[in-house]
Amino acid sequence: MNDSRSRPGDEVVAQVSGIVEGIFAGLKPLLAAVETLLADSGETTAAELDRLHPQVVELLEGLVIGAGFIAAPRLLADQQFGFQWWTNAPSGTPTQLFISLDPGSEYFLDYTRQSWFTVPRDTGRRHITGPYVDYLCTDEYTLTFTLPVLGGPGTDPAAGGQGFAGVVGADIFVREFEHATLGRLHALAVDRSARAALVNAQGRVIVSTSARQATGSLVRELDIPAWWTTGEESLARPDTTLRRCGDAPIALLVTTR
Amino acid sequence: MVKRMSRGARAALFAPLDQTGRVEAVTRRLVDAVTLGLLADAEQLPSESELAAQLGVSTVTVREALVALRQLGLVETRRGRGGGSFVRAPADSPAAPWRERLRAVSLTDLRDVGDHYTAVAGSAARLAAERSSAEDLARLELAAEDIRTATGPAASRAERHFHLEVAAAAQSPRLTHQELQLQGEQGGLLWLPIGHPEDPEVAHTVHRAIVTAIASRDGELARKLTEEHILDAIDRLAAVHLELLGP
Repeated sequence: MNDSRSRPGDEVVAQVSGIVEGIFAGLKPLLAAVETLLADSGETTAAELDRLHPQVVELLEGLVIGAGFIAAPRLLADQQFGFQWWTNAPSGTPTQLFISLDPGSEYFLDYTRQSWFTVPRDTGRRHITGPYVDYLCTDEYTLTFTLPVLGGPGTDPAAGGQGFAGVVGADIFVREFEHATLGRLHALAVDRSARAALVNAQGRVIVSTSARQATGSLVRELDIPAWWTTGEESLARPDTTLRRCGDAPIALLVTTR
Repeated sequence: MVKRMSRGARAALFAPLDQTGRVEAVTRRLVDAVTLGLLADAEQLPSESELAAQLGVSTVTVREALVALRQLGLVETRRGRGGGSFVRAPADSPAAPWRERLRAVSLTDLRDVGDHYTAVAGSAARLAAERSSAEDLARLELAAEDIRTATGPAASRAERHFHLEVAAAAQSPRLTHQELQLQGEQGGLLWLPIGHPEDPEVAHTVHRAIVTAIASRDGELARKLTEEHILDAIDRLAAVHLELLGP
């Protein structure tokens, strides 16, 4: 029973997996509220999204600093784009996000190009976007967790009669994720006189114990995107180990110097 | 001197709204009024309760809309005697009188803004070449295509959006923030389609070349192309400035 033996990095993997699953689980009540709203009102209007406010604000705790529902284009009866998104202001008071939703406006930025929107739409699955600069909302270095919402119009019978209606999501700041995870990562690196990092499926460093492998940089020594598509749980090389953090699209990378 | 808007425009601005999406509707109407110059810079808005009465919404709705406008930097609230909410005309409003602003600008300041902007956007391009993932590249390519068919305000939006995407691809919140700030410098003149080479194909070709340099991880080339692109824009502004001054 190989599995019962503990391996270095188990704690990091368990912690990251716990954070990720916790955030996705936290989105479930909001997802349910959106589905109910869409089912209840034949033609949902932008104003009706206000009914999601309690479930959205409920999410703003712990690492989560922003949350809400983003509608697919033309889901709403009265406007092309729309969302209900709240962020925790530094004061701790939730603040509603307003950005231009008018495609003709000077300030309009098309959110349907953002990965947190396109990936759940195109794969039907949950996604973590980032780390990335969230210039639509807080301008901060962010991880965005999104789940697809079904129940929209544009019903495709092949997709089980449920059209893509948008995404529900939660934001965390990379620096807060670092505060939460760096301690265990550092302990791991000290034990093995190595450097340890958490990377995303694109090989982008989220947190690292080494300034030479800084947050935001891409790991080039390994083709992490290619490895990711193999579905393997881990990769071991003489000087490098790579391990998935459970079902999260985040891996632990340990390199000996 | 504060210019007042016409009676007709003011009446339309303060006409009652439906009850749907009120905060957003109020916000949008006020944003449009400020960005289109219907409300002059430094003009004082009516009080929250007056606005609420005129628009037919609650004061809470007006208050939330004003929060949004403050976040956009379009309204400033001062407390105390003589306090209230005051319009802050946006730097890069398309309908703002750019001719006046461009005539008033000094070439010395223009050069200085150009230096700062090339430093920020050039570094962002270099870092983007180091740090862009396949996903970033896909978004950069989309943004580069936007300018091909764009004219007028859409062209200036496409320019600004392209450089914003490059800064975001650099993975730097600070450079992204500076990029946004610099886009608004000198009244947002830089990316206005003023004295632009008639052909959007030219800008499109440059944007494509920058994306290609980033995709091939050639940071120095990406930086050089970006710097030249910005200097070209500054040159165009300087030329129009001199034209406006006349012989």
